[in-house]
Amino acid sequence: MTREVIASPLLGEIETGSECEMSFPFGIPGFEEMRRVVPVEIPAQRPLIYLLDAAHPETCFLALPVFVIDPHFKLTMTEDESAAIGLPAPPEAPCEPKIGEDVLCLALLVPSERTVRANLGCPLVVNLRNLRGIQCAPPDGYSNCLKLSPEGVWEPAC
Amino acid sequence: MLVVRRRAGEGIVVAGEIAIEVIEISRTRVKLGISAPREVPVLRKETVTLREENRQAAALVSEQGRAGIEQVLRALRLAMNNG
Repeated sequence: MTREVIASPLLGEIETGSECEMSFPFGIPGFEEMRRVVPVEIPAQRPLIYLLDAAHPETCFLALPVFVIDPHFKLTMTEDESAAIGLPAPPEAPCEPKIGEDVLCLALLVPSERTVRANLGCPLVVNLRNLRGIQCAPPDGYSNCLKLSPEGVWEPAC
Repeated sequence: MLVVRRRAGEGIVVAGEIAIEVIEISRTRVKLGISAPREVPVLRKETVTLREENRQAAALVSEQGRAGIEQVLRALRLAMNNG
């Protein structure tokens, strides 16, 4: 198995390989060339997840598992999105894969005033069987945004 | 806005190099195939705003660095304790 060391300005040297990388065949909107994504967890900072662009490690996102933000979150994907990451498409299966069982589901954190907000309408979804991922973008993707207050409360933001 | 009527298998060409073909028409949706030069971004309308939001998300790390992350972590720890 090929090992590679990537140098992140923020996290230092990270050893990676195909088994610990996620593949985003279409990148993510705005970063269409970001195809190889390395998730990094720092135990003292859990549940925060760093998502590094393996090809350009200066590009890095912060993300949280969606259930950390909203324990009642329900994932819905379009047929095209499911197909893009190799999930069974209807009529074989509904477009509602099980989070934690079928897919990993993360929300990107966006700076907002003194803390962050998260758009749960546009999560990153990674098929746990092949580590292929996509950012969902439903037409009403801006109806489920939450903002983290400095006091630690997730509040509706859109 | 130019409005054209097309059937499945028919298409249109924009600027001589972008071809859009109607692949399939169902009761509620149309499946389109789009061929464009690599340098021409083809986006669903809903991803246009998302691109800007993702650029802001990347700036959280690249511009605010460790100080910004520490601020997020403080609020996050409070949220975990509240929850």
